[in-house]
Amino acid sequence: MYEKEDQGVLLELKKVSHFFDQRLVFRDISLKLKKGSVLILAGPNGAGKTTLINIMSGLISPASGSVLARVPCEKRAFLGHYTFNYPGLSALENLRFWAGIYGLSKSEEDLTDLLVLVGLKGFVHEKARTYSRGMAQRLSLARVLMLDPELMFLDEPATGMDARSREMLREQIRSARQRGAGIVWVSHTLEEDLNQADMVLYLQNKKAAFMGPATEFRTEVLEAAQ
Amino acid sequence: MNVNNSITLSPAGALALAGGLSLALAQYFIWIYAPVEATMGLVQKIFYLHLPVAWWGLICFFIVFCASIGFLLRRSPGMDQLAVSAAEIGLLYSTLALATGSLWARVSWNTWWTWDPRLSTALIMWFIYAGYLVLRQSIENRRKMRMVAAVLGVVAFLNVPLVFLSARMWRSIHPAVFAAEEGGLEPEMLITVIVCVAALGLLTAGLLLFRFRQRNMQDRVRDLYIQ
Amino acid sequence: MRIKALDLMAKDLRLVFSDGAGIVQPVLLGLILVFVFSLSTPVGEEVSAQAAAAIFWLATSFAVILVFNTLYSLEGANQARIGLLLAPIPVQYIWIGKALSGLVLLLAAQLFFLPAIVVFLGQDEMHSWPAALGSIMLVNWGLVAVGSLLGAMSQGHSARDSLLSVVVFPLLVPVLLAGISMGAYFFGDGSGEDLGGWLGLVLAFNALFTGAALLLFPFIYGEY
Repeated sequence: MYEKEDQGVLLELKKVSHFFDQRLVFRDISLKLKKGSVLILAGPNGAGKTTLINIMSGLISPASGSVLARVPCEKRAFLGHYTFNYPGLSALENLRFWAGIYGLSKSEEDLTDLLVLVGLKGFVHEKARTYSRGMAQRLSLARVLMLDPELMFLDEPATGMDARSREMLREQIRSARQRGAGIVWVSHTLEEDLNQADMVLYLQNKKAAFMGPATEFRTEVLEAAQ
Repeated sequence: MNVNNSITLSPAGALALAGGLSLALAQYFIWIYAPVEATMGLVQKIFYLHLPVAWWGLICFFIVFCASIGFLLRRSPGMDQLAVSAAEIGLLYSTLALATGSLWARVSWNTWWTWDPRLSTALIMWFIYAGYLVLRQSIENRRKMRMVAAVLGVVAFLNVPLVFLSARMWRSIHPAVFAAEEGGLEPEMLITVIVCVAALGLLTAGLLLFRFRQRNMQDRVRDLYIQ
Repeated sequence: MRIKALDLMAKDLRLVFSDGAGIVQPVLLGLILVFVFSLSTPVGEEVSAQAAAAIFWLATSFAVILVFNTLYSLEGANQARIGLLLAPIPVQYIWIGKALSGLVLLLAAQLFFLPAIVVFLGQDEMHSWPAALGSIMLVNWGLVAVGSLLGAMSQGHSARDSLLSVVVFPLLVPVLLAGISMGAYFFGDGSGEDLGGWLGLVLAFNALFTGAALLLFPFIYGEY
């Protein structure tokens, strides 16, 4: 029974609480993220969404509770406000560097194909410092796709993107999900993104005010509030 | 209004009181019990302040080292507060040790400063721990500041033997002008030194505890304010 | 099997040399120091070998501060630091990568300092070049071990150059004294210094700070 329930679980949080100094950020967050599902983290500003996704990705260790990721480190990817691009390197050099750090042997054609896929054809050898915000974010997306992640963490990835880039991002999220990746997504355009989500975790008053299927969240929380 | 007149003495207060009383007692030993040194005269009495502050200063820096390790292992803010309190007192004491040492050198060796390994080590440690306190003031992210300060607290103390060794080797280029600082101490002088070290030890413990509690309270007030 | 720390170094060097400021600044500052110091002696008088060695290592110390600030601020531009922390590499690799890049940049700067000292301070005799270079390399190792450990701490701080120098210089005293003594030996006639003793001291310093850095670096850099 227990084992069956845990099948396909990529990430599990058990009673996670976190403090900054003595100040409580949130407490007792528990959840399971399964293969091929999208979890949206939502909540008012300052509710600790970014802190929670940082804990989930392993960047911060929680003050108490445990985070269990059943995906090896090199198959996890993070896409946030920050692009991790080096401005002094070209798009291709950026990708090549991260491929090396992740121990991937990618040919120049592979990397160029990826850059074409995210719409950076013609900018492959341009230094990243000349990129617009949207282009930089697409380069960051190419880095994430290169890792072929089984677990993706998206922290408001659409910030500063134009409509076309945003559409591309959604499409890539859809296809990653179809491949069976688990996705944690902090979104500030909740209404727009909700139809892509399987689960929603709503942080409010330092705890999980709602944790359940996205459809229920729509009827129970959003429509009730209106 | 109901005023509570009973005086309760905290451990810090008790230690400070004991330290004050025993320092007063130590004055008797310094001025009356111990004989006046033949060549240097009264100025030699500086020694009874110089040696205790130098020793307790070093011990304070050792406390910084231990508390910093404790903080890195357990991440408890208390350890950090202990480390910074000890660093402050250690810095104060090494300032006093340097000043009194310099006075001593003027009278004894006719120079304010000389490249003596102990003197130089004290000065370099003074720089390191002054830097430690400046660093704590300068980094705004408190979690990061504590972590960096703890790392510095560890490496600073590990460095001390090397600083001393290098200072000693450095001097060997120049002829050793001065003989060892304290040769044969008179037994009365030795007892006086021991009394002074013990008395200052009590005061140091009191000061440290007091500063530690003060910092602790400051942090608690700060957290209340933020919440 | 790739050595990922070398990937980090290659990336850093490419970034630093692509705009050049990261290396030009320490070189210029060092040259200015050497030049100004040449004014400290009256015309016609020789600068002692020890003074020349001291100014060489002083210029190098300032280069350490500037170089490691540059190297760590490279990770700050788009928070690539977080990307590195999330990547499947031990955090210590970052310390190694930065230390290696720092070593290369330091050597590049010293390539300018040495001739400047010959020209401005009149040190045209060198007692045993290979041994002198060996001693410079050993002292450099100690400098970059400390620089790479503490260079990370001031990232994102506005007055980071001055803050870093206040903290780092006193820590470097043993290895700088060793460097100056050994430099005096090699610039001079090769006598009067306990070369073996200083060598032992430098090795002890390097071992101590390399070990300490491997243990402690994650605390400084891993803190999000």
